[in-house]
Amino acid sequence: MSVLSVRGLSIDYLTRRGPVHAVRDVSFELEKSETLAIIGESGSGKTTLAVGLIRLSPRGTKVAKGEILYTKNGMTNDIRKLDDDDLREYRWAECAMVFQAALNSFNPVITIWEQFLDTARAHGLNDRRRVHDRAAELLDLVHLDAGRVLPAFPHELSGGMKQRVLIALALMLEPQMVILDEPTTALDILTQRSIIDLLRQLRQRLGFSMIFISHDLSIAAELADRMITMYAGRVVEHARVADMFYRPRHPYSLGLLRAVPRVSGALGSVASIPGSPPDLVRLPKGCTYAARCPYAIDACREADPPLLPVDTPQHEAACIRWQHVAEVLGSDAEIPVAEKLA
Amino acid sequence: MTALIELDRVSRTFHTPGGPITAVDAVSLAFDAGEAMCLVGESGCGKTTTGRLLTGLLRPTSGRLLYEGKDVWRTKGADLARFRRAVQLVHQDPYASLNPTRTVFQTLSAPLFRHKKARTSRQALASVNELLQRVDLTPPENFVTKYPHQLSGGQRQRVAIARALTVDPKVIVADEAVSMVDVSIRISLLNLLLALGREFGVTIVLITHDLAVARYFAREGRIGVMYLGRVVELADTESLVGDPAHPYSAALIGAIPEADPDITRSKKRVDLRSAEIPSLLRLPAGCTFHPRCPLSEAGLCDLKIPELLPVPTDREVACHVAVRERTAEQAATMA
Repeated sequence: MSVLSVRGLSIDYLTRRGPVHAVRDVSFELEKSETLAIIGESGSGKTTLAVGLIRLSPRGTKVAKGEILYTKNGMTNDIRKLDDDDLREYRWAECAMVFQAALNSFNPVITIWEQFLDTARAHGLNDRRRVHDRAAELLDLVHLDAGRVLPAFPHELSGGMKQRVLIALALMLEPQMVILDEPTTALDILTQRSIIDLLRQLRQRLGFSMIFISHDLSIAAELADRMITMYAGRVVEHARVADMFYRPRHPYSLGLLRAVPRVSGALGSVASIPGSPPDLVRLPKGCTYAARCPYAIDACREADPPLLPVDTPQHEAACIRWQHVAEVLGSDAEIPVAEKLA
Repeated sequence: MTALIELDRVSRTFHTPGGPITAVDAVSLAFDAGEAMCLVGESGCGKTTTGRLLTGLLRPTSGRLLYEGKDVWRTKGADLARFRRAVQLVHQDPYASLNPTRTVFQTLSAPLFRHKKARTSRQALASVNELLQRVDLTPPENFVTKYPHQLSGGQRQRVAIARALTVDPKVIVADEAVSMVDVSIRISLLNLLLALGREFGVTIVLITHDLAVARYFAREGRIGVMYLGRVVELADTESLVGDPAHPYSAALIGAIPEADPDITRSKKRVDLRSAEIPSLLRLPAGCTFHPRCPLSEAGLCDLKIPELLPVPTDREVACHVAVRERTAEQAATMA
């Protein structure tokens, strides 16, 4: 049973030049206790999508169409149709979000304890004793010393500590689902490692579902069960993590994987993707990736290809040339693509 | 042979309200002409300060910066001007490093006029076109009249590199030059920098927190790892990533997530004794890594600062234990 089911979601930003089609016809399911990574570069629509899932889009945003279906205890609701009270309940209590840039998510003039208290009050928990116990329990869960952290102001904590506090805050109301936007970006390597390990432990212990949004393929490799790559607002590929990393079928996924060098193992044939993403106001005809794609043929410029199953029913790609991509890669073995192409 | 540019036991102390901070502590690094080298480390390790010392933008508190064997901070006039032209810095943020009110032509022609490489607008335009071609912004006529906001992050960074090239530098220090551009185009920027090194013999020092980028960039060169103001390991790139000698290098390489699920989920990790990075205001005595180090030996590491010493056969390491063990291993294999 899916916790979250997104169907045909399209989100536009209204600008003077006309609507920017930031998210186009996105569909996916999130199962219980599952981790889904949404990978894309700047302008791919990943953050717009994430913010759209909890209806926190800024003014000037229009959800053009689609459904966001959330299921709990056998009851399914469309998030787009919730009234303000139900929406408040859904946010944080059901679906918590940890935003990018941990530093900016706190109120800088109140202590961490007051941040916990604020959040609790907003959701009707007024018993200070109970909130304190819960905060201490959560901080312990994220390996922080509550005695030291609770009286501190945000600026007194390091970047990694702030990220841990945010994760603790997100878990306060025992959400079924946590969305993390770039959870480890801007953290140092060793801190990044500790946050990744922490997220893995918490998921095992508490069993929530996780969606994380990142430009960083390595965090998907670490944590995700399934993965989505987005390009110019669309899902261009959707696969289990091993399929995506070792058997990508969309040329953009392939290009992205090949663009990231590794520290361990062979370097292989590393290369950038030429060109730049299309203008989201005036999208080109046909496949939006065709202009940058080394495998594009005339037919690619005719119609935008739908997301269809390739290889297995659990693996989808929006590319009419996916079989050619498979041929180029040759082997289906569990070897990184940069090595297959070397 | 003398190195082209060299830091000789350079330290730099900053005075802050909390007390003095030594951001760079007795760092010695020498670079040959045409070398591609990387300095890596986490925030606060002194890598950016080292870059600013190397480009002569900061004066060392002690130690010397040598260019072609001459002490830069003792040279004047024409020699100093020559150093200023020869050594250029490319900044991290192409959104902040280009003047938003100037076109690409204005940005690139200003140093040409300033250094008398061009006297007329026509000459300047010809040079600007050539520079744009060199950084793959083609055709150049599409770019000369553009303002920074009309360019993508990657294109801006290419303009910033072109600007550094206006004065035919011998050394380019690139501080996190690719960390703000999209993943899919980083490699092409690194390749551009590498090509400049190969074709024009420019020495390129890339400063980065990203070990994978460092490995790619310096794959035929060296990597220096910094921690709290000191170079802790300096080695050929493949030796460093394949067999790190300093426990801090090993911890970094073990911790870094990789874009490969099998490798990243099964990597060998180094467990540190503490996750906390000491404050630069109160650095631990002896080896500054000892409170976190799994190899730390009481009575040695907490008392004596380790020097960066050569160990067989391909590197220098600042670690009492690693130097002792690797030297012993080498002696054993010789015997």
